[in-house]
Amino acid sequence: MSVRVDGDVIHLAGRCRAEDAELLIVALQEHPGAAIDLSATQRLHLAVLQVLLAARPPVLGIPDSEFLAQHVVDLMQ
Amino acid sequence: MDDLLEQFLIEGRDLIAQAAADLDTLRRDPKDAAAIDSAFRAIHTLKGSVGIFPMGPAERVLHAAEEVLERARKARAMLDAATIAAIVGCLDAIDRWVDDLEGGGALSPDAEAVAAAAIARLPGADPAASEEVAPAPSFWVHALIERERGVLQGATTALTAFRYTPDAECFFRGEDPLAVVAGVPEIVALAVLPIGGSWPTLAEIDPFVCTSIIEGLSAAAIEAVQAAFRMMPDQVAIHPIAPFIDAQPESVGVTGHAAATLRVDAARIDALADGLGELVVAVNAFAPLAEQADAIDRDLAARIRAVQAGIERAASDLHRGVSAVRLVPLAPTLRRLPRMVREIAASLGKQVAFTMSGERLEVDKQVADGLFEPLLHLVRNAVDHGIEAPGDRETAGKSAAGRITLTASRDGDAILLVLADDGAGIDADRIRGVAATRGLIGEEAAAQLSDAAALRLIFTPGFSTAAAVTEVSGRGVGMDAVLTAVDRLRGTIEIESAPGAGTRFLLRLPANALTTRLLIVEIGGDRYGVPLDQIVETVRVDTSALMPVGGGRACVLRGRTVPVLSLAALLGVAERSNAATKLLVTRSGGENVALTVDGFAERVDTLVRPSSGILAGVPGVTGSTLLGDGDVLLVLDLPALAA
Repeated sequence: MSVRVDGDVIHLAGRCRAEDAELLIVALQEHPGAAIDLSATQRLHLAVLQVLLAARPPVLGIPDSEFLAQHVVDLMQ
Repeated sequence: MDDLLEQFLIEGRDLIAQAAADLDTLRRDPKDAAAIDSAFRAIHTLKGSVGIFPMGPAERVLHAAEEVLERARKARAMLDAATIAAIVGCLDAIDRWVDDLEGGGALSPDAEAVAAAAIARLPGADPAASEEVAPAPSFWVHALIERERGVLQGATTALTAFRYTPDAECFFRGEDPLAVVAGVPEIVALAVLPIGGSWPTLAEIDPFVCTSIIEGLSAAAIEAVQAAFRMMPDQVAIHPIAPFIDAQPESVGVTGHAAATLRVDAARIDALADGLGELVVAVNAFAPLAEQADAIDRDLAARIRAVQAGIERAASDLHRGVSAVRLVPLAPTLRRLPRMVREIAASLGKQVAFTMSGERLEVDKQVADGLFEPLLHLVRNAVDHGIEAPGDRETAGKSAAGRITLTASRDGDAILLVLADDGAGIDADRIRGVAATRGLIGEEAAAQLSDAAALRLIFTPGFSTAAAVTEVSGRGVGMDAVLTAVDRLRGTIEIESAPGAGTRFLLRLPANALTTRLLIVEIGGDRYGVPLDQIVETVRVDTSALMPVGGGRACVLRGRTVPVLSLAALLGVAERSNAATKLLVTRSGGENVALTVDGFAERVDTLVRPSSGILAGVPGVTGSTLLGDGDVLLVLDLPALAA
């Protein structure tokens, strides 16, 4: 389970695949204003990133992946 | 037109001309290191300028040409003739694209192919490699440079920019573009941009369609970045970014140059010249004033004359200054001709060596501007109808390559342009025949024309000797357009042709269009002005020397019979009879014609205003001028009157 909702935080954990994009849209629609926790994210599919860039939720945590931490998290600020 | 483009059209063409001139020097002296340096600088600066406009192919071509020159510079090697020709070919292509840009704003559709061909002709050029080294700098590169300015300013080495536009359906195939980008080495900047400029709302988003473009900068070499995208080369654009993008060392030189010269709107100079013309006329009013004063106080009259002389001197100095400002070298007008000749010759499968001389000669801007069209037409005509096909030339015992020369020289108040070819020449009998067939002239009348007059039939509207209207010359514009354009500049054109040996067109144009030197003549008690540049000579002959010929009169001048017409009769005023006849000889229709006048008066240098109002419709009158005493002088157009 890559997309997990915990109160006002949506956790994206492990390897997020293309299919997770649809789940993320639903989660964001059901929890407007929820923040995204990326601290356990190992990989982020572009399909998921597109949803985050469109929805612009607040972002928490720094992913393990060096590439994501250095170049992708900044894009969502 | 936007300012930037306008500036580029001027400066870009200057740079092309500079490089072309340097290459011409190198053709004659391949060891001239200064010329290689100068050509290199011009092409380098030009490459920077074209980058601002949608001229990707131009930038690639210039980059390739610059490399060749740079190698020659470093190795202190000589450029061989083939290399110089190849670089000239590159400049020709650029010149044409500058024309395209001016005409429609976009390069012709064949630009990519032309660029590839031009680059391929350069020695050591690998078209594929140059494609990678300097691909078209697209809009995205400029946007990226803007966006990542901070990163770029900190960069000390070259960076590689990339733009990856994944296929919209790529998610279905299990691809993850972000994972691909994660494989790019040494990323220093990254951006994920929405296709179309803005992200959809959460409600609109389709999670199965890729709507992103990924752009970034890498510190790795182009090859390494390309390797990361090797699976999807068609979805990726890569462009090298030089370090310190803001630093442009050349700009120092450019600024220094700009301070030394000033570009001024020609209309302002015209206004200045107009005002000066009025001043000259106003000063002329002193003369009758001094005459009136003579009757009252001779001292006062003398002082008035002294003041008049002082103002006249100052005005004429000023006048010379303004005229000089309007003088421009012929070179910018003529510099496009060599390229046109090469193109026309190539399209007709002919070989032509074209040379020009005297292009540094300075003429009034109006003349320089008005000269290009008629010259181009004559040159086109010379290549198309003058120069024969290589095979025919060899059969005739000539070299396979035809020669066309354009010589400009100063001749008193006029400039003389001679366009000569060593082609087939014009057969006067054939011209007579064609003109008669086309119904432009009766057969009998045609037979009576001298060869020189028969050749002038080619200037008749509706005349075209080409059996088939060719792509090159047949554009619905005949040689009559040349005559009209030359007339408008108050010039004359003459043809000399020797069948089999070639043809010469002689254009005589006034060098200074600002004011006109007039000879004042008296006819039937009235005074008229005649432009000096229309007068071949003035002579006095005994009235008895005039012989009746046919319905008119003629006289012998310098061993040639010249028809004599009465200017009084032509103007419809009473004719006086004098013991000695004063003749004004002019050229009309290529022949000398003498016109009788009652007397010659002074010469004046004055501003002639073109006819307007009721005068506009009067044939034989080009305009009018104000004399110092306030009288209006009609200025005659002798060739038109004598025609």
